[in-house]
Amino acid sequence: MPVHFVRRAFVVLASAMLVLAACTAVSPSESATESESASESAAVSVAPEPQEILVLEWGGYDDPAFFADFAAASPEVPVSFEFGLSDADILGKMEAGSQADVFHFYSGWQQFYVDQGLVQEIDTSQLTNWDKVPDSFKAQGQVNGIQYFLPWDWGFSSILYNTEEVPEVTSWDVLLDPAYAGHISMWNDGPAAVTVSAYVHGYDETAITDQQLADIEAEWIAQKPLNAFYWSSEYDDLCPGVMDQTVWIAYAWQGCYATALYEGTPVAYANPSEGRNSWIGFYGISADTDSYQLALQFLDDKLADLTMSNVVNLFYYGAANQDVMDAIEDPVLIEAFGVDDPAILESTNFTPPVTDAQRTAWTEMWARVAAE
Amino acid sequence: MLGRRGTLPFLVGPPLAWLVGLFVVPLFVIVLFSLRPESGIVPPGSAWNPSLIQYGKVLDTPAFLRLLGTSALVAFIVAGAATLLAYPVAYFLAFRAGERATLYLTLLLVPFAVSYLLRIMTWKLMLGPAGVINSLLSGAGMIGEPLDLLLYSRPAVVITLVYVWIPFAALPVLAGLQRIQRSQLEAAADLGAGPWARFWRVTVPLSVPGAVAAFFMVFIPTVGEYVTPTLIGGTGGIMYGNLIQGFFGSAGNWPLGAALAMIMLVLTVVLVATAARIVNVRRLLS
Repeated sequence: MPVHFVRRAFVVLASAMLVLAACTAVSPSESATESESASESAAVSVAPEPQEILVLEWGGYDDPAFFADFAAASPEVPVSFEFGLSDADILGKMEAGSQADVFHFYSGWQQFYVDQGLVQEIDTSQLTNWDKVPDSFKAQGQVNGIQYFLPWDWGFSSILYNTEEVPEVTSWDVLLDPAYAGHISMWNDGPAAVTVSAYVHGYDETAITDQQLADIEAEWIAQKPLNAFYWSSEYDDLCPGVMDQTVWIAYAWQGCYATALYEGTPVAYANPSEGRNSWIGFYGISADTDSYQLALQFLDDKLADLTMSNVVNLFYYGAANQDVMDAIEDPVLIEAFGVDDPAILESTNFTPPVTDAQRTAWTEMWARVAAE
Repeated sequence: MLGRRGTLPFLVGPPLAWLVGLFVVPLFVIVLFSLRPESGIVPPGSAWNPSLIQYGKVLDTPAFLRLLGTSALVAFIVAGAATLLAYPVAYFLAFRAGERATLYLTLLLVPFAVSYLLRIMTWKLMLGPAGVINSLLSGAGMIGEPLDLLLYSRPAVVITLVYVWIPFAALPVLAGLQRIQRSQLEAAADLGAGPWARFWRVTVPLSVPGAVAAFFMVFIPTVGEYVTPTLIGGTGGIMYGNLIQGFFGSAGNWPLGAALAMIMLVLTVVLVATAARIVNVRRLLS
């Protein structure tokens, strides 16, 4: 009898805990209060910071090359990773109480972290490499005039095309051109599809109306058969398709462009009349971290020359460290980043922040397109 | 010595706890998520106001329902083809392989030792424009241009899934065939039945339970398949599982993804229950 009772109680308790996790979560205000209390008690007892760092990161960025300076300066500090699949997934993990000390996400999501109290200000006076970051990038990491985010990697989104099969591309509308049926590859991402349509039709990307969204949906349903496939991973899906020349036209980042150039594939990266899209990757320090000083050190070392050079040379992504960008001599990378065009970033469109409702509508629209 | 009642908790308890903790409870959590009215990311501290909004959204979207139907049809074709193709393999192992049956069975299971992803990626090489099949057809002068149909299409998904499931489907069929008493075949022979008559009138009917089990073991997971369509299906080979994966992954919209998953689960259970009723599984098993 007691055995039955204990077993039943255990099952009920475990179920209740999981159900509670699904039904409720700690609110930001509660979290902030707990955090403040913790800070106060920490201040009284002056507890030492844990000497380990947990990073909520994207797959591939856990390569030691991407924290080489920190590993060299602090070899005794273990760096571990938790991974996110997308910006939405990373934000969701932070909201769900991830224990990560720092997290990595991309343009357009800054406001969510600030509004929900998930991030704390970066004390840039303690960053020795901060002066190497251009002011325009620093500004992108500010919300309400406060430097919450550290810009780290950046790049373009534009049209990658095969120069032997496609004449010079001057507009994003080539992604919708039936003449290239079966040889187009669009990124499997609703907001990106909305961005392309907004560029092509001159819509205000931050104020897409219901009618415009319906038109965009119809446009991409008509475009769907033109694709060989939608790509999800730049290096696993898209690049092989570009290099084996299955794909002639693709929505792409410059990393795949550089990869294809190195492989000798006849490709070009368009400068469409509507402008390229630009994006920046940011790191934030969790509001709940117990290792603020260590997180600062980690981020400072992320900006250091060796680590940033690795980002450029191994991933073909832009670096927020301008010294590293200025030192690029490889003609392929100069071409990929437009290093010889100092005004290139000014002629691009940075991904604007949009609301959660907009993103949800756009991803649901994209699911309907995929299902057709 | 422990009696039946005494040993039962020790035998059933661990797997039951595992099943409840890692299947029933998570399933219940998914049900709870599907009843959340919010779309997109669920804000912390959201009140619990159960609603059928997500289900309404799915049922009001014909494209989602059509894709669910298409995915069920694909699963039916794959399960049927895999079971049919697995049958001769299992028959050979049960009645013809003799002392080497264990060796052949091991060989049959060798593909399981290779990563699933690796096997699927290999099919990209087989079906691609410069792949083995196109090269052979081109070399033989049978085609001028590579066949686009072979890769990034629904047929490519079906071909690959059938390949993946054949060894898996062969196991329950083999188990069914091994249960057939040789004396029954000998009795049929004594009564004048030839080899074909024995096969069609004794072996096949007695092996139906194994074949039905194989069919369902392939059909059920294939309805929600998303890895193979992602890798080789292209835009024309997308399946319902891809929608669920998208909402749980890149879209970060768990409530809608959960509603899609629950609707798929209900449909699969209904289809399997209906099919089981039609073929009268209980009678077959008895």
